[in-house]
Amino acid sequence: MADLTTSLAGITSPNPFWLASAPPTNSGYQVQRAFEAGWGGAVWKTMGDPILNVSSRFASTTFNGQRVAGFNNIELITDRSLEANLREIEETKRKFPDRAIIGSIMVEPQQEKWHEIVKKVEAAGVDGLELNFGCPHGMAERGMGSASGQVPELVEKQTSWVKEAAQTPVIVKLTPNITDITFTAQAAVQGGADAVSMINTINSLAGVDLDTWNTIPNVAGKGAHGGYCGPAVKPIALNMVSESARHPEISVPISGMGGVSSWKEAVEFMLMGASNVQVCTAAMHHGFRIVEDMIDGLNNYLDEKQIYSVNQLIGQSVPKFSDWGELDLNYRVVARINNDACINCNKCHIACEDTSHQCIDMHKDDQGNDILQVREEDCVGCNLCSIVCPVDGAIDMVEAPRQTGDEPMTWNERQSLLSLMPAK
Amino acid sequence: MHEHKEFLEEKEQIDRLINNGFFITDVTENLEGAFVQFSNGADTEQLHIQSASARKYFSFLLKKQKEDTISPFT
Repeated sequence: MADLTTSLAGITSPNPFWLASAPPTNSGYQVQRAFEAGWGGAVWKTMGDPILNVSSRFASTTFNGQRVAGFNNIELITDRSLEANLREIEETKRKFPDRAIIGSIMVEPQQEKWHEIVKKVEAAGVDGLELNFGCPHGMAERGMGSASGQVPELVEKQTSWVKEAAQTPVIVKLTPNITDITFTAQAAVQGGADAVSMINTINSLAGVDLDTWNTIPNVAGKGAHGGYCGPAVKPIALNMVSESARHPEISVPISGMGGVSSWKEAVEFMLMGASNVQVCTAAMHHGFRIVEDMIDGLNNYLDEKQIYSVNQLIGQSVPKFSDWGELDLNYRVVARINNDACINCNKCHIACEDTSHQCIDMHKDDQGNDILQVREEDCVGCNLCSIVCPVDGAIDMVEAPRQTGDEPMTWNERQSLLSLMPAK
Repeated sequence: MHEHKEFLEEKEQIDRLINNGFFITDVTENLEGAFVQFSNGADTEQLHIQSASARKYFSFLLKKQKEDTISPFT
């Protein structure tokens, strides 16, 4: 059994699975239930001046029968008093001293307001603070959340104010609603952040009711944009974590989140540089006990790989992630169809013919049966046929042997060569 | 679509020049593709290369040319 203990900027937890600041961490009752189920840590739902919420609040996207493929919410930070939250944090920490409790906080961009809340929340015994610079709805209209998180100068300044008062590690939670998250991550580092976490939710409108023409969700017939999360956002989150992890100026640990639904996504995020992961939607969909499968799955994976500590995963795939210009232009994979497994649905042929490179031909074999064959010389290795194929093992993408002229060369190398031509 | 056929035709033109002692002296790329100039010291030839694979191919030749320190690299 591998060691799952992780440390994020000195905040240790018995496993890398933390509940993200969100509805599941709204109260001591919930967080204690989560810890009983096995969660390694919890980021308490964001505390600040208590807000007022609306009803209704959540919506999800169902895609081809898959419920909660994505999740949207317009709920704001806690509507409970700071005093109540802090009392429950203290009680929870007393009952579960080995678990990490992080206080998520958000106030207006004023130095004294940050100082005040930092001192009060730390006095309750939290292991660290997470600054919510990511919430995209409601609070952002009041200059907080993502409205602060989209301006590097505000991220840096507010982080530095928090660091003036904080005694515990400070995690800065970043918004994905920005062109390049590494700018705000760098600002957090410059402000003194001990870690960054990403991603908060993505601006979204879940849908429109085709009968009433109301937005989904709607509040008395009116809607507003919300924050999108869940499995659908994982690739976006993973990219942002990866870009931050490989950035030389972002020298602090990363807590990764956005679509982590099982141990597999946790491994992916950690391989791409996250020191731990935070989870929300999966717990909202399946309950706190989903963490049991996450822990078991991660343990089994590490055992199979003969890895003794989960920390050995952190960042292992970061060197494999680069700019497009550093990819080998001459590396080729081609599709190969296994006609024994093929069910002749022709999806690959149609996909290739209509929307890709027209290299899958329909033939008859010696017995007159329909078969599909790839003209490998015309195949560009786009993968589309294998993506749309409904049968595992019917289409393999195989590496094509290099021929003369196929020696490795990147776009950057090529452009560098061209720039050396005397006429240039 | 048989882009490979187009590549083979362009590769053949490039190889014919290279085999006759020409080397690449200039490349101009624009919306129409690449215009590659070859010279053997006495004569110059220009090929209009359009296929992606052939544009990769002459890049390989250019690299080889540089490694072999064949003019015109400085």
